[in-house]
Amino acid sequence: MSILRNWRHCLFWLVIGCWVGQTIWLAWYYAPDVKEMAWRVASGRTGTAVRQEDPLYRWALTLAAVIPPRDTYIFLDNYEAGKEIEARYHLTPRKHVLLSPAAPPSFLFHALRQEKASYLVVREGKKPWKSQDAVAESAAFLLLPVPGPGLVFKVDYERLPGKFHD
Amino acid sequence: MIDTALALLRFSLGLGSVFLLGYLGFALLVPNPRGFRVLESLSYSFGIGAVVLTLWMLLLSWWGHPFSLIPILVPPLAGAFLLVALKMIVRKRAGGPESAPSTIPAPSSAPFQVWDWVFIGLLSAVLLFAYFRAVIYPMWAWDTIATWGCKAKLFYQTGGMDLTCIEAHNYYPNLVPLLLSYLYFCLGEVKDHLAQGLFPFWGALLLGMLYSFLRRMGLNRTRALGVTAFFALNGTVFISHLFIAYADLPLAYFALAAVGLLYLWLMDAAPVGALALAAPFFAGLAWCKYEGPPLAGTILLAAFLTLVWLRPPDWKMRVLKLGIPILGLAAGFLPWRLFAAFRHLEMGADHVRNLYPHQLLESIPYFLRALVDPFFFGLLWPAAVLALIFSGRGLWRSPRLFPALFLGGNLLAVLVAYAVAPTSAAEFDMYVRATIDRLLLHITPVAALLVGDGVKEWGGRPQAGPQRPLEKPLGKAY
Repeated sequence: MSILRNWRHCLFWLVIGCWVGQTIWLAWYYAPDVKEMAWRVASGRTGTAVRQEDPLYRWALTLAAVIPPRDTYIFLDNYEAGKEIEARYHLTPRKHVLLSPAAPPSFLFHALRQEKASYLVVREGKKPWKSQDAVAESAAFLLLPVPGPGLVFKVDYERLPGKFHD
Repeated sequence: MIDTALALLRFSLGLGSVFLLGYLGFALLVPNPRGFRVLESLSYSFGIGAVVLTLWMLLLSWWGHPFSLIPILVPPLAGAFLLVALKMIVRKRAGGPESAPSTIPAPSSAPFQVWDWVFIGLLSAVLLFAYFRAVIYPMWAWDTIATWGCKAKLFYQTGGMDLTCIEAHNYYPNLVPLLLSYLYFCLGEVKDHLAQGLFPFWGALLLGMLYSFLRRMGLNRTRALGVTAFFALNGTVFISHLFIAYADLPLAYFALAAVGLLYLWLMDAAPVGALALAAPFFAGLAWCKYEGPPLAGTILLAAFLTLVWLRPPDWKMRVLKLGIPILGLAAGFLPWRLFAAFRHLEMGADHVRNLYPHQLLESIPYFLRALVDPFFFGLLWPAAVLALIFSGRGLWRSPRLFPALFLGGNLLAVLVAYAVAPTSAAEFDMYVRATIDRLLLHITPVAALLVGDGVKEWGGRPQAGPQRPLEKPLGKAY
């Protein structure tokens, strides 16, 4: 009985010892965060200023100035990139519809009409996207001179034909 | 500088109002609110206040009344004040004692030991780090900007629960988004970095609640503080959830409150009115996250099975009394379901269509790894398992069976959840890695209660410090 008790006692202190090691590891793990936080507090770059460092946020601010709050826009991007949800967050309460850059014109035009979307936003304007030519040819799209990494089109969705462009 | 100070003042007043509302609710639910430690009262009050306030906001939205600070705050506060006054008048007229006997274990008269200060220092360091980590950076974590924070911003901007412009997860319960949007109304604008300060604060309340439960379970101050620190400083999951504004930390808080109160009740160590007090936390479970109702179901099932197995003299009456938390669960579950049904919101039922047995097998290695990997929860789960093993046969003869059944049932439920998850084979691995830590976080504070039980017996030497008996008759805790 006393052996068992001693064994439990030893195990208890072994767990405590490991926990002390774990606590030291946690301090080491979060040390870079503490360092950066101290730098941010010292330089006054906290809160909204942190977001200003993000080019996507700065672009979203210019989009917010162009797209009225009650309007709908279609955002052409890959979900996996994780940028789409950021854009949606910054652009609320505007209605956000995500489509892939691989969406064919028939689907894109149908979605624009269906959702009554007044804007089409392409996050990576320099990369090719499937409906690029169809959009360029259609009179329903007007490319807006919005500075930033992507393209922004004003869309007259009522002028979009019902026929397929694939 | 002045702007920041004013914003912090507004934020503090906003949180203070939630506390006040919650304390009034707490005073209504328990016969003697003074029979609780201050830390306990604070821990319970915030949860109750958050549930009442956000359900009220749901009702406002249902009635089509636009959100603003006065309609959000004044009616529930006025109603709660009136009800508390009514309760006091009724009690006075009935000639009852002004206050029921205290149920607090007598405070330890021993001065703070070195180890008490060490544990308090560690806990303070974690909370201070988490607070600054939360308020220095804006909301950035995936689910925060995809769901919880996005909805909060939307509710503030549209002055109601307008879900037409957000399609992702619009059927999710809304306690956290509504509470954040309430804070935006307090702040007067969307300052998401300041509102994120809610989460370290909520984590502090969870730790306070855990400590209080451990004290009521019979641990002395040093050991209760030690187990609380052992929980907080084990792995990165709890610490990171203190600053990423997910709904998982609040869910863990509600789960701990619901399990802890029922556990004390089963042990005959609960404060008077424990079941009524548990009810709003069951409501919080259902209203906080989609996983809440199944979690509440497993708590109730584990309590039922424990009563049936142990068969205390009044077990049938006790089983009937489990109806009180069930009422709480319904109060948190039904309003949102009805609201969604009337607004024709599509409820996500995609998780229960098919069973994929291979996914169950694939998830087991991730699951086991998450339980023992120091990066996730450190030594907490191994320590809880050791505590259970050392319970020996006593486990089957004591209410400790209840948390053991709850944890076992939930660990099994996590695996089953992966077996029915409609994920593509290519994404399954990523899906499990992205969710396993959160699913375990919901129940990890309960594992810390088991560790506390183990420490009571496992630590070797008898406990230091006086442990006076509870000043209430055993078996009358409901």
